[in-house]
Amino acid sequence: MTVSAQQQATWVRNFNPFVGDNRFPTVNGVYEPLMIYNTIKGELVPWLATGYEWGDGNRKLTFKLRDDVQWSDGQPFTARDVVFTFNLFKEHTGLQGPGGQAMTGETAYIESVTAPDDTTVEFTFAQAFTPGLYDIANQNIVPEHIWKDVADPLKFTNENPVGTGPFTEVAVFQNQVYEVHRNPNYWQPGKPAVQGLRFPAYPGNDQANLATINGENDWAGNFIPDIEQTFVAKDPEHFGYWFPSTGATVMLYLNTTRAPFDNVDVRKAISMALNRDQIVEVAMYGYTHPADATGLSDAYPNYKSERVVQAGSELVTRNIERANQLLDAAGLTRGAGGIRQLPDGTPLRYDLNVVSGWTDWVSACQIMAQNLREVGIEATVRTYDFSAWFERVQKGDFDMSIGWSSGGATPFNYYRSQMSQRSFRPVGEAAGENWHRYVSQRADELLNQFAATSDLAEQQQIAEQLQQTFVDELPAVPLFPGPMWYEYNTRRFEGFPNEENPYAVGSPFGMGTPEQLILMTTVKPK
Amino acid sequence: MGFLLRRIGFYVLAAWASLTLNFFLPRAMPGDPASAIFARFQGRLQPEQLQALREAFGFTEGPLFQQYATYLTHALRGDFGISISAFPAPVTTVIATGLQWTLLLGGLATVLSFTLGSLLGVIGAWRRGGLVDSIMPPLLIFIGAFPYFFLAMLALYFFSFYLGWFPLRHAYSSELRPEVSLAFVGSVLYHLVLPASTVVLVSIGGWVLGMRNTMISVLSEDYIVMAEAKGLPERRIMFRYAARNALLPNVTSFGMALGFVISGLLLTEIVFSYPGVGYLLIKAVANLDYPLMQGLFLMITFSVLAANLVVDLLYVRLDPRVRVR
Repeated sequence: MTVSAQQQATWVRNFNPFVGDNRFPTVNGVYEPLMIYNTIKGELVPWLATGYEWGDGNRKLTFKLRDDVQWSDGQPFTARDVVFTFNLFKEHTGLQGPGGQAMTGETAYIESVTAPDDTTVEFTFAQAFTPGLYDIANQNIVPEHIWKDVADPLKFTNENPVGTGPFTEVAVFQNQVYEVHRNPNYWQPGKPAVQGLRFPAYPGNDQANLATINGENDWAGNFIPDIEQTFVAKDPEHFGYWFPSTGATVMLYLNTTRAPFDNVDVRKAISMALNRDQIVEVAMYGYTHPADATGLSDAYPNYKSERVVQAGSELVTRNIERANQLLDAAGLTRGAGGIRQLPDGTPLRYDLNVVSGWTDWVSACQIMAQNLREVGIEATVRTYDFSAWFERVQKGDFDMSIGWSSGGATPFNYYRSQMSQRSFRPVGEAAGENWHRYVSQRADELLNQFAATSDLAEQQQIAEQLQQTFVDELPAVPLFPGPMWYEYNTRRFEGFPNEENPYAVGSPFGMGTPEQLILMTTVKPK
Repeated sequence: MGFLLRRIGFYVLAAWASLTLNFFLPRAMPGDPASAIFARFQGRLQPEQLQALREAFGFTEGPLFQQYATYLTHALRGDFGISISAFPAPVTTVIATGLQWTLLLGGLATVLSFTLGSLLGVIGAWRRGGLVDSIMPPLLIFIGAFPYFFLAMLALYFFSFYLGWFPLRHAYSSELRPEVSLAFVGSVLYHLVLPASTVVLVSIGGWVLGMRNTMISVLSEDYIVMAEAKGLPERRIMFRYAARNALLPNVTSFGMALGFVISGLLLTEIVFSYPGVGYLLIKAVANLDYPLMQGLFLMITFSVLAANLVVDLLYVRLDPRVRVR
């Protein structure tokens, strides 16, 4: 099966799941997590573990593991491998993976990991933090018998990986193509049905698209403009795509430490001034839809409150008149050239920062600048190189900027990133999220309650209040949920997920999502 | 001999200067490499983890002069450290993935373009006002003025995608493994046709024009008249007397062009998905991958220097006057 997931001119051999630049499908392909969160169904699917259980006032999390799993070299997989993997993060700083957040740094919430027997793993929490379940369940497990001899896991290129995943055998590795064949000892009998995955090197999107349109790729995660015409029309019977809007929501961030963006009514007015339909149609080729006022993407069917979405609909509907009223009421009177002024006479003239070359975002910013001019705010689109842009948002050195938000299995991460003391850093200090620097006491209370309970009904109720708080205070302006790029070709293989058969998100993008394991073990040759 | 020693001394000095520049230039760029890596995780990492990453990569090392000393000693050993964008692969491994293909494609295209261009220039100047002279230079300059990217895309779309005559990508068929066999060499050549010919097409105009113009001034020299008067064969005058002298400025440019082969094929490699190092440079800059950037820049400067040294030596052979001085 030919796959286009990563884009490189030449391949460098690296199958280390703990570093940034490893070859697809190292994470969630060669290695596997304990459980997989299925964003479409909103449930945790048992994988290496058969299930989990909370105990001791949500301070103890116990996973039961399968007893029939073998590593690709034939050794048995046991709870010791899980304990070893998590402790690896403690012993070596800089390793990447969801487990890192659980084990190291200020965010660490796990006190200890133990294996009472071969099929049980117990995580003891320093304090109740139930969203941690998804970090832990998501972490890919590596074999202790191989990795205990690795001196520096951060610098290990792991050329011949040993994993529990469906594809582990690197059969071909050349600078322009490599193949990973199926695991002879895979624990799901008869799976995977596909012999192996093949990855040609495409240096950029154009080259990858050319091959996809030509029918050479069976499975791809590319952005293709005007996809109905350029791709599907070539072979409507076999070519398909599905871009579920389950990626992180793209936001307009306003620096809330500066006037007038510290005023909630100004933020609401700006949100009402935007023409989201046009942004989605023109800048995003209609591949997604305007965000609702909660800012949650489509990945949270269990949590999104229809009531709050309705209540906030005014905020995300274009209404120039109302926006003008709000701005007038905020004391921002119109001055020369119709540009509004702060009470001290400073005109509202701002740069709207965006990354140069991210054409969809640049075009979205141009539309927003136009919209804002109609309500008397002069925004100029400023493009920066990625690192320069990133430095500015991280340090809070901007007025207006477009940016991504945090995702995750529950709304916890998203709301923490938008309005919590947990994510707040003072201006000048680099922040991984909460670039607009906003703290809501109410949200923090709710987030603490959310993290303390493992009861879904209770979490749903708290999540609804969080959504209400977000709509009330509007710390940042949601624009649209990010689409997950994914194309498939059924000339040679069948069983790909799509809108009619949405069993999992199919995007094989970059480092991959856990759900791709479901696809890999479902797809069959024709 | 003294001439050669002087030249080599000069090149050593130039190499040191470029090494030093190479150290300071990337550090003058805005931004911070760890942030660029961080970006790939789109908010899934916390700043504490970023700090840990920074330490792991060694970005928090001592004062500048100390870094410089370490850098110099490592560079002399051929050790450029670990690439950040392809972490944890060493820079040398990353560069090695594409270097031979860049050299093959670039070397072949430059040599072809130089040889053909110079030959056409000689013929054009010899038969001034003839068919070659009146059509070739304007036509080739016209094609050369096209943005290369556009021309290459057009060629790829038309010949590879639409007509299917040539492969769409890569340096050889992925069904084959690199080996010395007829099938493999054939596949390599087949994959070279389109990328190399587009490069030749856009660059040849300069060679033709340069050669033709110097050739014309050489042809009006007294010794050419003398040679004709002696009744030497036309070909001998054309190549041994006129072309040899007219070639000198072109040889200088040829040296430069050879040196820039490594860096100059970026667009070709991208359009034809040719596995080379040109694309690595862009990636290195985008990710603020200092070690990879430095490795590549150094290779480029050294290859320019080496090519110039070769040209100097060639000059000694071609132009006897140099030997006397």
